[in-house]
Amino acid sequence: MFYRESGQLKSSYVADQAMFPIAQDRWFVFGVLALAFLVAPFFINEYWANAILLPFLVYALAALGLNILTGYCGQVSLGTGAFMAVGAYASFKLVGFFPEVNFLIVLALSGVVTAAVGMIFGLPSLRIKGFYLAVATLAAQFFLIWVFNKVGWFYDYNLTGMITVRPIDFFGVRITGPEATPAAKYLFTLTVVCILALSAKNIVRGRIGREWMAIRDMDIAAELIGIRPLRAKLSAFAVSSFYIGVAGALYFSIYLGAVEPVEAFDINQSFYVLFIIIIGGLGSVLGVFLGSAFIVLIPILLKNIMVGGMGFDSGMAGHVEILLMGMLIIFFLIVEPHGLARLWQIAKEKLRLWPFPH
Amino acid sequence: MTNEQTNETLLEVDAISLSFGGVHALVDVSFDIRKGEVRSIIGPNGAGKSSMLNVINGFYHPQEGTITYQGQARKRMRPHDAAAGGIARTFQNIALFKGMSTLDNIMTGRNTHMSKSLFWQALRIGPAQREEIEHREFVEHVIDFLEIQSIRKTPVGRLPYGLQKRVELGRALAAEPSLLLLDEPMAGMNLEEKEDMSRFILETNDEFGTTIALIEHDMGVVMDISDRVVVLDYGRKIAEGTPEEVRTNQSVIDAYLGVSHD
Amino acid sequence: MAFDIFLLEVILSGLMTGVMYALVALGFVLIFKASGIFNFAQGVMALFAALALYDFLAEDGWFFAVFGFTLPVWLAIPATIVVMIVLAWVIERTVLRFLVKQNEIILFMATIGLAFVLEGLGDLLFGSDVKPLDIGIPQGASDWLLDSFNLYIEQLEIFAAGTAAVLVAILAIFFQRTRIGRALRAVADDHQAALSVGVSLDKIWVIVWSVSGIVALVAGIMWGSKSGVQFSLSLIALKALPVLILGGFTSVPGAIVGGLIIGVGEKLAEVYIGPIVGGAIENWFAYMLALVFLLFRPQGLFGERIIERV
Repeated sequence: MFYRESGQLKSSYVADQAMFPIAQDRWFVFGVLALAFLVAPFFINEYWANAILLPFLVYALAALGLNILTGYCGQVSLGTGAFMAVGAYASFKLVGFFPEVNFLIVLALSGVVTAAVGMIFGLPSLRIKGFYLAVATLAAQFFLIWVFNKVGWFYDYNLTGMITVRPIDFFGVRITGPEATPAAKYLFTLTVVCILALSAKNIVRGRIGREWMAIRDMDIAAELIGIRPLRAKLSAFAVSSFYIGVAGALYFSIYLGAVEPVEAFDINQSFYVLFIIIIGGLGSVLGVFLGSAFIVLIPILLKNIMVGGMGFDSGMAGHVEILLMGMLIIFFLIVEPHGLARLWQIAKEKLRLWPFPH
Repeated sequence: MTNEQTNETLLEVDAISLSFGGVHALVDVSFDIRKGEVRSIIGPNGAGKSSMLNVINGFYHPQEGTITYQGQARKRMRPHDAAAGGIARTFQNIALFKGMSTLDNIMTGRNTHMSKSLFWQALRIGPAQREEIEHREFVEHVIDFLEIQSIRKTPVGRLPYGLQKRVELGRALAAEPSLLLLDEPMAGMNLEEKEDMSRFILETNDEFGTTIALIEHDMGVVMDISDRVVVLDYGRKIAEGTPEEVRTNQSVIDAYLGVSHD
Repeated sequence: MAFDIFLLEVILSGLMTGVMYALVALGFVLIFKASGIFNFAQGVMALFAALALYDFLAEDGWFFAVFGFTLPVWLAIPATIVVMIVLAWVIERTVLRFLVKQNEIILFMATIGLAFVLEGLGDLLFGSDVKPLDIGIPQGASDWLLDSFNLYIEQLEIFAAGTAAVLVAILAIFFQRTRIGRALRAVADDHQAALSVGVSLDKIWVIVWSVSGIVALVAGIMWGSKSGVQFSLSLIALKALPVLILGGFTSVPGAIVGGLIIGVGEKLAEVYIGPIVGGAIENWFAYMLALVFLLFRPQGLFGERIIERV
């Protein structure tokens, strides 16, 4: 009844092309942002930050990166874990070299480094398509992790082979390590993710986004109408890897604080992020947030219900989680390849007509 | 048909031969397209018509022969260079971007005219938005011209066949081409849709002076809207001329009736 | 002289590993040829088959718990084959038939989902601990080779190579000489044509998934006998992917040759390049080899060249 667009006529192309052309949508988004920025920081605690909000934000950002590549440009990658590792190690080395530099700049540079690596592994995409490319990205996955594990320079020749984040202050506020408050970590991550999500939304609805989608939907036709496949694909790899790299840097520096490459960035990470975009919705910015929330919350719910409620051991809950993820993936691919984002849209369309059935 | 027709040559195809692993798709084909005309390429199935279009816009590279476009001879050219040079086309089997709306599909046609970098795109406010709006206005003209205002925001995958063909024409027109290649624009259409499409093609030619190269099976349509016709059979040119000349040409009649070659 | 023996041993051991890869790759090729589906779950299918086989044989399995006795090997293997056929049928019924018209990427991602389902199911049903699989394949070095040529080769590996050869021969006969086999080849060439000779597509999919389920079982037995039935088996099976890139996705001989090249290549690389760069390059060598190969010959050694059309 209250969700209506009638009467909201667009008198300019600017208004028609706005991100949320319907006023109620705009207010809803402002409301969520206000909640996230102004209310949540006062109630956040260690558990909420580490178990839910930080992984939610970091995985949403990584998924955003993968969605640019897979959902918008149609190139499948199974190397997300490794590209997150590139971002993480880049931020670690950069902070080591330039401890004074603002962490936002470090993050951006980590993204740029990852973008460069991503473009190298994206080069085969010019000659190969579909799952051939997936295999090529597996090369990145296994090779890069091996490099971070074997080459001492990357972990400062530390005997454990792990990297541990250095204490970093952002305008005088500690944002890394055990001394940082959950609120500080959360707000910093939230800000970065929001800025990058907004930029991604802008890119995908402009010229470059259309080029990516054209390549995705029909690459030959795209080339024949003047889109350079080389440029479009490599730009998708670059932007995608930039996002994944920043996500990796946040994952290491703020969320975990210390990582060991083989476990933290293994191929399961790649699958995990891929599942977020399938469940959330291929080719949707909103979808990565829904998908990330879903995939972060499901294991917690399962654990609470199965271990806490029914007394199974946690290994059992882990097996059920794997089984359930697989089933959900198949379910979404069959029923709704556009994922939760599309279901959300359908719900809105229903709401628009409510209470009249037609 | 048109008034602005001149005798200036826009594109010249000279002695083109194309083969795929021993199969000859085109053999020694030559013809020209004059600025402002509607030039039809006809012939039985497998005559090499689509291959000819693919050669013209750089998708196939002929083994022999040259193509001179706007006075510049070339041997090899990538499709996107052809597009940047003002050659746009539609496809025999619709090649729209199925996941995108009508508006976005037609906007992709403007891509060769847009240039703002990734940075400005990400920022959106400022140059990128101005550019977007400027081209949106042009696209809206195309949408008005093709009378598809009501499906502006519909994903093209959901549109009926005839409308998809129209959107595809829109995408090609959005590029403001000097040469428009149409590969069977009326295939699979009913009479009414064919009439609409013929009207759009003629109006495009009339109003914008766009040169058109057309492949079509419907002889009635071809004879009605073409200025000149070239006939291919088994990859060779067997006739060319005005519709009237071609209609009465004996080898053309033979080719269509399936008289054996000797 | 001693050096030559060592080199020979490395190559032979690589060949044997390659046979294992080839077995998994073979399952991929069968499914890809008949349905165009790139079955990411092939490796997990091998794991699943080995788990099921173990269950029939061991006293800590479900079968023993329900019926109070275990099956002898000669009954357990047919029983596992039945399990794999049922599995193929279930997969066709619940997944494939709903995705027939989807593009290959969606299908590919669905098989990743399938891999997770099978893994979770396997863990839930059979537990995730490492299980020794002993079906009476001789273990240890071949004494005869050791005595006569001073060569150290595992008997198991010789057995695996022999089995693979027999399996390929059986498959060749199946495809060339039986009505169903010919129908399968027809499908690979043209779906419409296959329908017109009266073979239904869903039936064909069940058959081809069953056949590759059986191939997976053979692979699972070999890997399981060698290093126990455990989850890492499905990761090792991922190596079949670079094998396919080398061999071409549609070629049975390609799968074999590709498997051998990868097997030998990575063993040689590990032994001769590994020590220089810090070892453990077996993990990625195959992928990098495939990647470089892709740049020069995307259709693989034996695949058909792709001509693009508009």
